[in-house]
Amino acid sequence: MSLAPNILFHIGTFPVTNTLVTTLVVDAIIIALVVAFRAGLSLYPKKLQNVLEMMYEYFYDSTKDVSSKVAIIYPWVITFFLFIVIANLIGQFPGFETIRFFAAGSGEEGVPLFRTATSDLNVTAAFAVISIFMCHFYSIKHTGVKNYIGRFISFKMFPIFMFVGLLEFIGEFTKVISLACRLFGNLFAGETVMSTVSSMCAFGVPLPFMMLELMVAVIQAIVFAMLTMAFMSIMTDNH
Amino acid sequence: MDIIKDIFNLFGLETKLFIAQIVNFAILLFILKKFLYKPIAQMLEERRNKIKQGLEDAENAHKTLLDADTQKIAILKTAKNDADKILENVKVTSETLKQQSAQDAKKQAAEIIETAKKQAKDEFDKATKQVGAISIDLSKKIVSKVLSEIFTDEEKTAVLSKAIDKIESAGYEKTTN
Repeated sequence: MSLAPNILFHIGTFPVTNTLVTTLVVDAIIIALVVAFRAGLSLYPKKLQNVLEMMYEYFYDSTKDVSSKVAIIYPWVITFFLFIVIANLIGQFPGFETIRFFAAGSGEEGVPLFRTATSDLNVTAAFAVISIFMCHFYSIKHTGVKNYIGRFISFKMFPIFMFVGLLEFIGEFTKVISLACRLFGNLFAGETVMSTVSSMCAFGVPLPFMMLELMVAVIQAIVFAMLTMAFMSIMTDNH
Repeated sequence: MDIIKDIFNLFGLETKLFIAQIVNFAILLFILKKFLYKPIAQMLEERRNKIKQGLEDAENAHKTLLDADTQKIAILKTAKNDADKILENVKVTSETLKQQSAQDAKKQAAEIIETAKKQAKDEFDKATKQVGAISIDLSKKIVSKVLSEIFTDEEKTAVLSKAIDKIESAGYEKTTN
């Protein structure tokens, strides 16, 4: 199993990878959920509406507990969670990666048509960059340029706060790397473990690992969403 | 730089895919914000308002019920007091009427007795007078008959007159014959 996603074909110079196809499948599932939700929208909620309302309230209330800028933060948090959890979970379906696509130069075995979207660093890095970029954008918007720059450059108690500012500056890059690599690493490692265990013994033995992967799938989605919430909360509140 | 390029190649990092994922996420966020989060927020708000309204209505109904109970108790108390007063008045009035009736009855009885006594006395006086008159006439006749054999007419008249005077002076009136 390669670290890089498999390229299925090109549209012009744009490479279409199996993780991109899975991303589109996740999008389709989310849109289908939205359509189903809106079709059955009622004051007396049923199953799907209950689940979505519960998820919404959980993240909304959690955001409200840590930040006064709840209205701007919660949509990012829920969207990250929803996308990542669905992307992680559909990768756990048995046989998900066994559907093969015979691309040019992929040999007789072909390449998997689908691959867990979050096991592609392009996806996790994109999400991490969006998350941290929006933190900085909202920080400038809600605390002002002076306060924003003050987080990184300060001449108080020189050179202690100067050094702290430098660490903060470096920290912003490490945030991106940690967010991207944590999600990617967990999911890719999980897939590798599942692939290895399944190739050793296809029956029974993978079950505990599947259970573990299901937990990891949900936990990693929550971790990403909660970290985004924490970062945005810290950045949008005045020091 | 070559190392970074190698790392990028190893992980399959591609600028176009990276941008595609960002665009994909932005579109998804827009769709979810407009078609999922907004309706959910509105629905939750509407439900919250409805529950709040329902609770307020229930609270008001409870208060109204309590007020009605209080009013009922007050009305019953007033009615009981009024009824007690009316009963008391009736008792007093009936007692007064009873006493008045008894007094009237006594007075009427006394009047009847008085009238009866007066009538009896009148009857007695009348009877006495009649008996007196009869007695005088009878005495007159007896004396006249007795004297007519002993005395002359003049002596008889004188004795008779004297006797009649004495009888009359005793209280008996002379009859017409």
